Amino acid sequence: MTRRVYLDHNASTPVHPEVVTEMTPYFADVYGNPSSVHGFGRDAREGVDVARERIATFLRVPPDQIVFTSGGTESDNFGVKGLALARGRGHVITSRIEHHAVLRTVQALEAQGFTATYLPVDAYGAVDPDDVRKAIRPDTVAISVMHANSEVGTLQPITEIGRIAREHGVPVHVDAVQTFGKVPIDVDAMGIDLLSFSAHKIYGPKGVAGLYIRKGTKMVAIQHGGEHERRRRAGTENVPGIVGFGKAVEVRGREMHDEARRVSALRDRLWEGIAARVPDVRLNGHPTNRLPGTASLCYRHVESESIVLGLDLKGIAVSAGSACTSGNVEPSYVLVAMGLPLDWAMGAVRSSLGRSTTAEDVDYVVDSVAPLVQKLRQALPVGAA
Amino acid sequence: MRYSETLVDHFLNPRNAGLMREPDAVGEGEYAGCGDLARVFLRVRDGRVAEARFQAYGCGPTIAAASAGSELIALRPVEDLAHLKPEEVERALDGLPEDRKHAAEVVADAVRAAAGQWLSQRS
Ligand SMILES: Cc1ncc(COP(=O)(O)O)c(C=O)c1O
Repeated sequence: MTRRVYLDHNASTPVHPEVVTEMTPYFADVYGNPSSVHGFGRDAREGVDVARERIATFLRVPPDQIVFTSGGTESDNFGVKGLALARGRGHVITSRIEHHAVLRTVQALEAQGFTATYLPVDAYGAVDPDDVRKAIRPDTVAISVMHANSEVGTLQPITEIGRIAREHGVPVHVDAVQTFGKVPIDVDAMGIDLLSFSAHKIYGPKGVAGLYIRKGTKMVAIQHGGEHERRRRAGTENVPGIVGFGKAVEVRGREMHDEARRVSALRDRLWEGIAARVPDVRLNGHPTNRLPGTASLCYRHVESESIVLGLDLKGIAVSAGSACTSGNVEPSYVLVAMGLPLDWAMGAVRSSLGRSTTAEDVDYVVDSVAPLVQKLRQALPVGAA
Repeated sequence: MRYSETLVDHFLNPRNAGLMREPDAVGEGEYAGCGDLARVFLRVRDGRVAEARFQAYGCGPTIAAASAGSELIALRPVEDLAHLKPEEVERALDGLPEDRKHAAEVVADAVRAAAGQWLSQRS
């Protein structure tokens, strides 16, 4: 059997065994609706409450300021639209490297009459807080800047952005889907009013996430129906998912710091191994101020997808930084925003390591990448791309 | 796997990859949509392809298509190749997914261009 190596933890992660154990009774045994007043409902409610408590403890916020949602995408939609629509009209500030869940939400708001500023990033993929200051106008109603981008992993200067926003009385939403449970987050010190965070990037189940809403933040609901989640988000709660989310976060509390150290050493081993054997390769993003397990590499003059395919055939899962759909190539908008020339950006490959990644895995990947890239380059037309 | 075994084999073990010195004809095919590029070199003897080599830039299927194409045209009369259809390249790969048909197109374009060049030089 060929070896299988999963280096796509930023896309999703395996559910932690302790999480599976915690969730299991909530499918067939504890199945009541948490809004029901009877014992079955109360048992389900108890599971949801414990999860909320665990997450609140981890984030050091009051439990009633956490709303459960159906995923990072919903949390982002809720956060950005909730702030904007509560103010009716105005100007929204975001960055060019947000996840589509934020970018397309802001675009949708523009179509409804809001205006928007999309902040540039520097060569490391970081927003300049000074640009935030300059972008703020009297009618600015919201700022949404992510904590780290899934592809490149550079951490954004949220504390500085939060401070500037405070000075101007503008609420701040932060998409922390990629950082929550991987690097420390302090919503008070960082000046965060709303925080999107998700379960399936941290060994919890898919389809469940949360939005932290600082007390007193003027928000409207974007999903209407029953009076769930203190009327902030209608819909019967995903009880097993929420229970698993709570457990996943509790486990993160124990494992996060050690894992960050271990995984970031492996990430360095991967980069150093590849850099030593493959010419014309670069590491994107900030060298140190970044997500621990993310390595975005660009192989000049090679096309991302051919590397992804070649590695897939070796049992290795990584993701392509550029995608060719129906014959239209899209180099990553994130790398383009960072100013990478096209002949580099087209060859972007992201590896994201996680708790099960070993040094042997990393060495196997290095041993597979080097000959593959060499072969792809042999077949390459001179001066192509 | 969304690709045929034949395609994967050509991708992993490309035939006839690389530059040809002093070829009798060269042709290129490019897919503007995604920058995929194939270049085919021909050595011609008695009106037939005596040797073909290719260079390709693009996703896995494009590299595989160039490899399969270089085998497909061996020993064929250059006159026939002036009309090579992408479907023939695709068949040599045992099929392509709908969103990767352009792989066969760039290679067929490159072969037709090379054949056209040779024919026009001869006349
Ligand atoms: C930064 C960021 N935000 C939001 C999302 C959306 O998460 P989901 O697809 O689980 O809704 C992702 C997922 O990759 C992400 O990386």
